Amino acid sequence: MKELLRLENVEVHFPIRGGVADTFLRRPIGVVRAVDGIDLTINEGEILALVGESGSGKTTTGRVIVKLTRQTGGRVVFDGQDVSDRWGVRRLRDYRRRVQLIFQDPYETLNPKQTIHDFVIEPLEVNGIGKTGQEREERVVRALESAGLRPASQFAFRFPHELSGGQRQRVVIAGALVMDPQLIVADEPVSMLDVSIRTELLRLMLDLRQARGLTYLFITHDLSLAWVLADRIAVMYLGKIMEIGPAEQVIRDPHNPYTKALVSVSPTPTPPSAGERMKRTILVGETPDAAHVPPGCRFHPRCPLAFDRCRVDAPPLFDVGGGQRSACWLNEGGRSLPVMPVTTGVVAAETPADASDEVAGLPPPGAVEPAAARSLDARR
Amino acid sequence: MSIDPRDLRPEAGDALVRRERDDADDEERHLAAPAAAGPLDPHPGTAAADIRRRRQYALPKLAVPNAPLLEVTDLKAHFRLESGWVRAVDGVSFRLNDGEALGLAGESGCGKTTTALSLVRLLPANGRIKGGKVELFGIDLVPKSEHALRRYRWREISIVFQGAMNALNPVRRVRDQIAEPIEVRLGQSQRSARAKADELLELVGIPKRRGMAYPHELSGGMRQRAMIAMALACDPAVVIGDEPTTALDVMVQAQILQLLEQLRRDLGLSLILITHDLSVIAETCDRVLVMYAGRVAEEGPVGRVFTAPRHPYTQKLLSSFPNIRADRRTLDVIPGQPPDLRDPPPGCRFAPRCPFAMDVCREVVPPEVLFTDGVRVACHLYPTADAPMAGQAFAGELPGSVPRVTVGNAG
Repeated sequence: MKELLRLENVEVHFPIRGGVADTFLRRPIGVVRAVDGIDLTINEGEILALVGESGSGKTTTGRVIVKLTRQTGGRVVFDGQDVSDRWGVRRLRDYRRRVQLIFQDPYETLNPKQTIHDFVIEPLEVNGIGKTGQEREERVVRALESAGLRPASQFAFRFPHELSGGQRQRVVIAGALVMDPQLIVADEPVSMLDVSIRTELLRLMLDLRQARGLTYLFITHDLSLAWVLADRIAVMYLGKIMEIGPAEQVIRDPHNPYTKALVSVSPTPTPPSAGERMKRTILVGETPDAAHVPPGCRFHPRCPLAFDRCRVDAPPLFDVGGGQRSACWLNEGGRSLPVMPVTTGVVAAETPADASDEVAGLPPPGAVEPAAARSLDARR
Repeated sequence: MSIDPRDLRPEAGDALVRRERDDADDEERHLAAPAAAGPLDPHPGTAAADIRRRRQYALPKLAVPNAPLLEVTDLKAHFRLESGWVRAVDGVSFRLNDGEALGLAGESGCGKTTTALSLVRLLPANGRIKGGKVELFGIDLVPKSEHALRRYRWREISIVFQGAMNALNPVRRVRDQIAEPIEVRLGQSQRSARAKADELLELVGIPKRRGMAYPHELSGGMRQRAMIAMALACDPAVVIGDEPTTALDVMVQAQILQLLEQLRRDLGLSLILITHDLSVIAETCDRVLVMYAGRVAEEGPVGRVFTAPRHPYTQKLLSSFPNIRADRRTLDVIPGQPPDLRDPPPGCRFAPRCPFAMDVCREVVPPEVLFTDGVRVACHLYPTADAPMAGQAFAGELPGSVPRVTVGNAG
């Protein structure tokens, strides 16, 4: 399979500036490591899902790929060409034609005063695609119809408020398709939509891949959506990729403790049995903020399996077989994890001191009991 | 559709006739006496009696002994628009027992939030309860005056709203916001209210000192915990969670659900959980009520409804939900869109989208059929109460069912 996009050790660090003096001196007082050195390849015709919680850097990664955010380190290689240093409207014209972005919220993406037709035709006009007006119109009709808005004439001159949420997102997709891109970066494209509409759009995305050979980077917080749609899944945590591999393997046989915990708590529409509940690992606390990345493995303060080495050294991605790689010292040499302890085994006190102010999760059961007991006493 | 001027008159509850009785009930606003075992207790020895004995504050004076905790009968809540009345909730009935968690499921616009807001009469200005009863401990709240309703709002029924950031006051400390209902509703001193707020914060897993923070200083999960603490402030009989975990990350969602679970166990909380996310209901609730276009489609124990859905809508909804532990890419699509509730279809409201729709579905509103295993379904496919499928596991697909549609090519 041909490689379409490659990220090499991409970093995005945002400086934190303090007071006025610091601003004038351009002296940052800290740095937010939104993306902290990731390697990623997307093959042609593939759907790669980038999964992570808020603050994991998944959206920033997507923005680097569509060149809306400047990386502070690393390379972006698209179709064999290094585009890392290509900036500016003119130099990006060709690139932007081939890489398109779909945003999460179709209500905000569309201009309420612009008709659907004007929204879809705009990129063609801006980029000077299509020699005649006639040709552009034809492209618009084709894009609208392949996004499932048939007949196009019925939708073209409507305004966004006249459409349902699902239809709006189709318009956004049409706006991306009209450029005839190779890669579409879809940032949470269905999370604003209802279940039944969501399925239609996922299916549309799959149909478009079939028909046009599209490649997708699908950014989502929802592991089960990634599971349904993606060929490969990459799980991000605090700016790093924790695990990457074929969807089937990552979900069925996760090797990283973080992925394992995520899979175990992903709710399903089938009532869990008592046994399933017991196997669940609910992590304590929340993702630390990216300005205070813990040393060593960045997951260690919340990891139920962390040991001494994790607090000092950051693990690289170890190959665990079948194209699956996981960043955990326990996977060194391709080993699997021991059985994960359930929630009760996790102690909150392990959160790093500087982060404990922001990060305070459920205290360990022992700490909860007195409060609960007190208020029950008051009731008697 | 023209507007009947009679619809614009004040609600029946504002009639003076009821004032006297209402005031009698409101007198105990400042009363914080422990609930005495007395004639108001339901049958001793039952779970309900046990939970009601745990109450910190006395039951409302008008409470009917042995009445169920919450009984909603044929509730109708409509919204007035220029173009007519939107029948957002159109004849919904359900019951919530002590200590039970009921999930209200459905897509946007099916009336689940309207149902919840109607329980405490917090509908927007153009909303009106057009009929039905909301009985809490046997006291009908619909005809109550605004004044008398204060005895019940937040003290007996509280709500955890969806967007914690919007629901919390950005310029007040979290602890003070939690203390406010205790001061205002229960008439306790500021000091004891604040002490109580600290206790509540700890109960929901927020360290006491974080109570001095302003909402923006807390993370999303913590804000949601603070909202839960606020909802618990007056020791309510019913807590309504309106999409309490929707904006949260999976892990934080798991933490919040775990917290609710724990609170239910420890405090005997009775919960109504509104969400479009069926998996959250599967996780936390005892019973589920699936709504479609303002009506009940199916209601029953979670274990029954989720494993053997009977209503075609429930079946479709469940199979359009991605399931990480099931096969990939077998997602169903529900074609079409929910009906316009200004002018809903005359028969079953799901009929235009239903693969099994018969002629009768388009004309006659399906009656609600109760199965022996406690599942209630409103569908013409199940004509009588002693339906043949009652009590036995239902294969999930009806006779003559269309095969499941597969999304894309697997693998």
